[in-house]
Amino acid sequence: MRRMSRPATTLRLALAAALLAAAPVALAYPEFEAFVERHSGRYVNCALCHAHPDGPEGTKPGQIRSLDAEELARLNLARAAFEPGSDVDSPILNDFGDEILHRVGKRRFLEIRSTDPALLADALGTDSDLDGDGIPDATEYLEGTDPLDAQHGAPLRLLRNNLERYRFDILMIVLATACGLWGLNHLLAWAGWRFRPALRDDPPPSGGGTLP
Amino acid sequence: MAGADKRLVDYLARRFPLEKLSFHSLVEKKEVPVHRMSWAYYLGGLAVFFFAVQLVTGLMLLFYYEPTVSDAHASVEHVTRHVAGGFLVRNLHTWTASAMILVLLAHLLTTFAMKAFAPPRELTWVSGAVLLLLVFGFGFTGYLLPWHQIAVNATKVGLQSIEQMGAYLPAALADLPGELKELIQGGPAVGQATLSRFYAIHVVVLPLVFFAVLGLHLLSVQLHGMSQGVDRATGRSEEFFPFFVLKDFSLWGVAFLVLFVVALVLPFESFFSYPLFGAFDPMGSTPDGIKPEWYFYFVYYPLELLPFWLVALLSAGATGVLFAAPWIFRRTGRRTLRILALAAALYLVVMTLFGQTLYEVFRGGGG
Repeated sequence: MRRMSRPATTLRLALAAALLAAAPVALAYPEFEAFVERHSGRYVNCALCHAHPDGPEGTKPGQIRSLDAEELARLNLARAAFEPGSDVDSPILNDFGDEILHRVGKRRFLEIRSTDPALLADALGTDSDLDGDGIPDATEYLEGTDPLDAQHGAPLRLLRNNLERYRFDILMIVLATACGLWGLNHLLAWAGWRFRPALRDDPPPSGGGTLP
Repeated sequence: MAGADKRLVDYLARRFPLEKLSFHSLVEKKEVPVHRMSWAYYLGGLAVFFFAVQLVTGLMLLFYYEPTVSDAHASVEHVTRHVAGGFLVRNLHTWTASAMILVLLAHLLTTFAMKAFAPPRELTWVSGAVLLLLVFGFGFTGYLLPWHQIAVNATKVGLQSIEQMGAYLPAALADLPGELKELIQGGPAVGQATLSRFYAIHVVVLPLVFFAVLGLHLLSVQLHGMSQGVDRATGRSEEFFPFFVLKDFSLWGVAFLVLFVVALVLPFESFFSYPLFGAFDPMGSTPDGIKPEWYFYFVYYPLELLPFWLVALLSAGATGVLFAAPWIFRRTGRRTLRILALAAALYLVVMTLFGQTLYEVFRGGGG
């Protein structure tokens, strides 16, 4: 969680209050959702950026009318994060939503919304990967996958990244399987010689003999 | 002993020749035929191995899973995100479930094509068909347990299908499917009672029944050995022990290796849209793309495309044929059986891989 210094907090709270008085209540931005679905072919919902899958409007946890005073203050600060680099911890956004405002700023975000939602990926850059799955958040946005879940991403990208990440584990399980099969082969060779009378014509496999 | 009783005892004695239950018969003497379909002899053992993996990974998941509507989803998320190796165990459980059903279907079709149900193996076939239904039961009940959107909504659709049957039954029986649905559901709607019942069925009832039927199936397989499999025996065979056993175990080792790597690098859920795996909210919106697991597509897409009564009738007929196959196809040649098995395989592949495309072509819209 990013935290702000007290003077900055006071200043931004005042600014946010002024803006709230002048502007209508902020709603979710369905333009982004529609773009992602069109671009990726995957179904997405408000949970891509918001705390609640049905968006910010409502009375359920993570929606505006459920917020207490402290959460409302954090919401107002997030709404006032017009420039990139602001610390954002909105109660109605998830970590990816916070990261968007932190990296892009509300002003640029609203510009992108009214021009081309695809530009959000460029604005996010490629160095942010909140879930650590090796797929940049911007790519996950374009592909309609969950940027906060390391178990969710485009299957081929996850496959490639995880093969690289778990190279050592895979090598170990291959070695373990090979050793297990080698031991089993020898064990059964001995047991076969011991328990199948027909096989006793052959010499016992004590010298490391294996099954054909 | 009365005539009927004696006939029954004789019938069972031929199906379960317990005198063969000896070390000499099962280890020293047992042979496996070698021919061009011999590879199919390994499928049953592979399915049993996958069941064992399911059992072990399922037990591991039990340590963390909470079967309540308030905590089920969170407990699964906890296992996946915070428990060391939790995602691996969960992915193994999910991938192995699919692998087990795939192998079981291949086992069913190859066994049918090889006429392995011919006397005295009729009860082996019937117990295998019961096992297949039990595995589908595992799939249906297990699907609900994570209590996410797709789980709950797909279960609702599945249970509604049972209730719909009532409309096509005589008046005296019309209420029966609805009552059956409520019995399974545990109440008027899918909720805590449903989750508790599915949980109990998935982790206790089905495994116990499965063990009993599997025991009968394996006993029968061991007593009779592998069926001839082809019309003209090649005269070649290999020792069951140790050669066939070694190949069987080796296949299990390689299958586990492949599954382990797949579970490690390729999460099953990555193939779906993420909103489907959000916690189920009875007051929230239902995401698009609700479908059953892939192994139910062969009945799901026909239900979407054809009148319900027709699909119900065909399903009942297919189930009847499945169980009565040893008697219906008693005099059918293996060549004909192979063609029938291939046709069934083609139907399953087309419905599973291209069901959605067919749906869009015939209904002109997305699913």
